[in-house]
Amino acid sequence: MASLESLTEDLLVRIYKGLASDADRKSWRLVCRDFHRIDALTRSSLRVLRVEFLRSLLANYPRLDTLDLSVCPRIDDGAVAVLLTSRGSPWAFPRAAASSLSPPGRDPLAWTRGLRKLVLSRSTGLGHHGLEQVIRACAYLESVDVSHCCGFGDREAAALSCGARLREVKMDKCLGVTDVGLAKIAVGCGRLEKVSLKWCMEIGDLGVDLLCNKCVDLKFLDLSYLKVTNDSLQSIGSLPKLEVLALVGCSLIDDTGLQFLGGGCPLLRVIDMSRCNGISSCGLVSVAKGHEGLVQLNASYSLTECSSILLRCFKDLKNLNAIKIDGARVSDSAFKALSNCTSLVEIGLGKCIGATNLGLMRLVSGCVNLRVLDLTCCHSITDAAIFAISDSCRNLTCLKLESCNMITEKSLYYLGSFCLLLEELDLTDCGGINDTGLEYLSNCLELSCLKLALCPTISDKGLGHIASKCRKICEIDLYRCNGIGDDALAALSSGCKKLRRLNLSYCSDVTDRGMEYLGQLEELWDLEMRSLFNVTGVGLMALAAGCKRLADLDMKYCENVDDSGFWALAYYARNLRQINLSHCNISNMGLCMVMSNLTRLQEAKLVHLNKVTVEGFELALRTCWVRIKKVKLLAALRFKLSSDVRETLHSRGCKIRWD
Amino acid sequence: MATSRKVTLLSSDGESFEVEQSVAVESITIKDSIEEGSAGNPIPVPKVNSKILAKVIEYCKKHVESAKAEDRVDDEDLVAWDADFVKVDQATLFDLIRAANFLNIKSLLDLTCQTVADMIKGKTPEEKRKTFTIRNDFTPEEEEEVRRENQWAFE
Repeated sequence: MASLESLTEDLLVRIYKGLASDADRKSWRLVCRDFHRIDALTRSSLRVLRVEFLRSLLANYPRLDTLDLSVCPRIDDGAVAVLLTSRGSPWAFPRAAASSLSPPGRDPLAWTRGLRKLVLSRSTGLGHHGLEQVIRACAYLESVDVSHCCGFGDREAAALSCGARLREVKMDKCLGVTDVGLAKIAVGCGRLEKVSLKWCMEIGDLGVDLLCNKCVDLKFLDLSYLKVTNDSLQSIGSLPKLEVLALVGCSLIDDTGLQFLGGGCPLLRVIDMSRCNGISSCGLVSVAKGHEGLVQLNASYSLTECSSILLRCFKDLKNLNAIKIDGARVSDSAFKALSNCTSLVEIGLGKCIGATNLGLMRLVSGCVNLRVLDLTCCHSITDAAIFAISDSCRNLTCLKLESCNMITEKSLYYLGSFCLLLEELDLTDCGGINDTGLEYLSNCLELSCLKLALCPTISDKGLGHIASKCRKICEIDLYRCNGIGDDALAALSSGCKKLRRLNLSYCSDVTDRGMEYLGQLEELWDLEMRSLFNVTGVGLMALAAGCKRLADLDMKYCENVDDSGFWALAYYARNLRQINLSHCNISNMGLCMVMSNLTRLQEAKLVHLNKVTVEGFELALRTCWVRIKKVKLLAALRFKLSSDVRETLHSRGCKIRWD
Repeated sequence: MATSRKVTLLSSDGESFEVEQSVAVESITIKDSIEEGSAGNPIPVPKVNSKILAKVIEYCKKHVESAKAEDRVDDEDLVAWDADFVKVDQATLFDLIRAANFLNIKSLLDLTCQTVADMIKGKTPEEKRKTFTIRNDFTPEEEEEVRRENQWAFE
């Protein structure tokens, strides 16, 4: 019998696990009750979009280990309280009543025991009370992410410290957390292995020292942009298991601090010290000498020069995989030394003064395993260098050539002939390329991300070549490519069905016809289309109706789009999360419809909406104040908006930027 | 060093297959019963008929052979061979899954299950039901609820 159903449940689970895409798994659970149950019992991770469904989803998915609430609006203390009561509260969430599809007698709080990872990033409405409740309820929680909850401070840190089993805490941009809060976490969560505190500027040496004393199992530590000094590095040096350390933008540390590091952290593999003004080659030498197992070293924009001693050190690092020295002055001897590190897979040489054809040719003669090469703003390189690179590094997957304006179509010929695994190519501002070059490039069938911003010399013809052959394209940047028009979009819509991200800003030849073509791209998720004067409401309607997944839309300066377009947007674009409508001719009614209907909208830029009155803004903001998280408004409105609206937005954790 | 020893496998419909022991022990079930000494000779394989058993033996033979070969080029060839191997009708494919499960041959089980998953990728629920003759047993309300969840509730 050729019946799928006649297979036992564990076999069906195996088949279900072979379905990789979310669309396939959703289609599976619609087939029949057995399949629905298999999905319910096997699915382990959930990203909830709307809070009304949250309770019933948690009740129906008992095997969840990961819950992502970062895009779910209205997560606040009240929502948490409802989630954690063991009795149903139908008046709060109407759909929370037990569905006929879920087996009876299921404990609605079983999910708290299975949960291991909780993502609450950007849940600005949540307070310390709700946070503490959920941390205490999920006793086996190992990982929590509260990044970008900018209002979070020491009380919220104290709430997190209740999670004794926590191994991973991400608190990037929790701007209110100080050493006191960090201390509480250090004391409460002794098993921590991964801690990220980027931009938590109130944290200093004291907090870091305590963290290093109490959490000896730390493997990953990110202190980027913090005002920590060499003292912190001394404390960090004592961590016996540290493998990954990020200190981007830590301007107060210098070579003395790096010496502490050189003598400690025996297992260090990855170190990111980019944008640290105080360090030099000397400090890096002490790090490199102490850690022969180093795999990745990032010193972008920190070094003015790469000393010969440092370069000699690299040779001894047998596992060195990636090195970034963007912004440093390099000489031909530097390239010669680097070419000895044959294990290198990734090299960053952006804005490196002294990067010449000859140097690069030397480099790639040794580093044949290169996959990622960043030559942004290496102005003096020409086609000859690209020939050498393509010929030697056949496994190249990512090449960045922004502002390399001596590159011509010949380089694209070489890439199209030799580097057939190329996935990512950045040709921003490369004035020398043209349509013929794109034709050559179209041989790279693996191409998925192509940046052609500021290339006025390419036209629909060239893009047509790419679109017809490179079926894996997901991202294209055509910012200010004046030669691009509707025909390019026609080509993209038929050839690049996987397109997710597109930038058409200032391609003013694009009209409503082009928008209709875009409407055929079902995967389009992020569209920037600033200043497209020839697009009207008709075009926007076609776009909104077709691109159901659109989440990010920037249509600043699209002044000829009228309300018919915005009504369509409000009706169709249900997945929209971020929108920029600045300088658009939307009316009061249009704005109100957009802000109220689009229930997933979290960020809106609404500057210079000339047809919208103060009352219009008031009404629009009132319809969405429970869920909007970030809004940009004209500064003049600051004193015209009622205090009611401003206070409510503030208390919900919404950030208002006044322009 | 009993690699040249042969064992006999008896299918559910009474046919015997003589195979090298090294091939037979690709099946953990058979391996265990040989090691425990509980297997008679011939080893009965209930639930698996001769047609399917022949295919399973073919699979195991190929994989044992290419594991012996030192040539790394065989890796790609093996993948291609596997892809051809599973180009069978659905009924046979499901029987192979059941057999691989019963005989505990992990690589064959993974291969066949993934093949079925690939077959139903991109298909609508109705197409999935048609392909495998499954009945839609949702009530209209239930189906609507699942659809709504799919569209709005989560990713």
